[in-house]
Amino acid sequence: MRDYHLSKLFFDLQTPAAAGEYRAHRDAVLARYALKPEVRAAIENDDVATLAPLVNAYLLRFYFLASGMPEEEFLRRIRATASKAHG
Amino acid sequence: MANLVGIYAASHGPMIVRSWNALTLACKGAITAGFDELGNRINAAHADVLVVISPDHWVNFFMDNLPAICVGVGETHAGPPEPWLAAYPHQQMAGHAPLAQHIVAQAFARGFEPSVSYQLALDHGFCIPLWKAGIAPLPAIVPVVINTVEPPFPSVRRCYEWGAVLADTIASFPGNTRVAILATGGLSHSIGEPTMGAIDEAFDRECLQHFATGEREALFRFLDQRMQGAGNGTAEVRNWLAAHGAAGARGFDLIHYSAQPEVYVGCGFASWNAIAAPETRSQ
Repeated sequence: MRDYHLSKLFFDLQTPAAAGEYRAHRDAVLARYALKPEVRAAIENDDVATLAPLVNAYLLRFYFLASGMPEEEFLRRIRATASKAHG
Repeated sequence: MANLVGIYAASHGPMIVRSWNALTLACKGAITAGFDELGNRINAAHADVLVVISPDHWVNFFMDNLPAICVGVGETHAGPPEPWLAAYPHQQMAGHAPLAQHIVAQAFARGFEPSVSYQLALDHGFCIPLWKAGIAPLPAIVPVVINTVEPPFPSVRRCYEWGAVLADTIASFPGNTRVAILATGGLSHSIGEPTMGAIDEAFDRECLQHFATGEREALFRFLDQRMQGAGNGTAEVRNWLAAHGAAGARGFDLIHYSAQPEVYVGCGFASWNAIAAPETRSQ
């Protein structure tokens, strides 16, 4: 099930200006979105595994690129979600 | 009436541009060879208008409203908004509003109800093939978005049928305009999923074999059974299906295929060298 507000945040951060503002003033940007507390916490913790089921995979990948996570680290974390899912 | 002068397909993986300088010579060579031959064929067709079928990668549409199919009816289209495509040579591209409006009107009369947009920005899905294939001069572009990014997606059969309708509507456009179709995306790839980076080469090769064989029902069954498991990006094969439908499932000619893990994509380039008569498309 998609989380609309999380998806909207990731969608809006696609412009360089918005991404720059996010990196500089993350709390202020997050406050504009009606995020559930647990979703906001997952964002603040770069919790790929919690966020992945809630948002389109393209937007997920884009968000972590825009927020500065190296590609190799994102790949490690997203691949780990499969390991967890399969026990 | 207008002439459908060519039907083509190409992959469009972003890493082809974003990571170009870091790619191995072998990878660059394979992709360049595919795009070069594709460009040679498109340029030789001397199309006045190119109908480009691609997904929208969260540029024009969001979850507020996600059309299954959208036709760009604007006089112009904006270039790609992705910062890493800043070197793309066209900040604006000419559209062909009369043909686009004709396609939409005729589609409604033939059982399809595409949405329309008067103002589209064309993302990497449209622009990487146009750029890397060296299509010059750039024809007027009629963009057609098929949603292959966020479910629910149109069925594979529906995408094929949309391609057949597209070809028929082009053929009924008054005048002697030369029109070509370019479908972009695929083949197998996975983005932002646990399988990210995986390419299902067995799927790709079997899929291409089905295109070559031209047996539609077998192709539909294969895709219904295997496409979803070959990675989320593989949904873009729906665009190839539309091209296949426009050609009446005939004349598929593979230009190049190779699995390219460096760009995360099974890279395919193809054309359809037999333009089907209208009565064969819907059979």
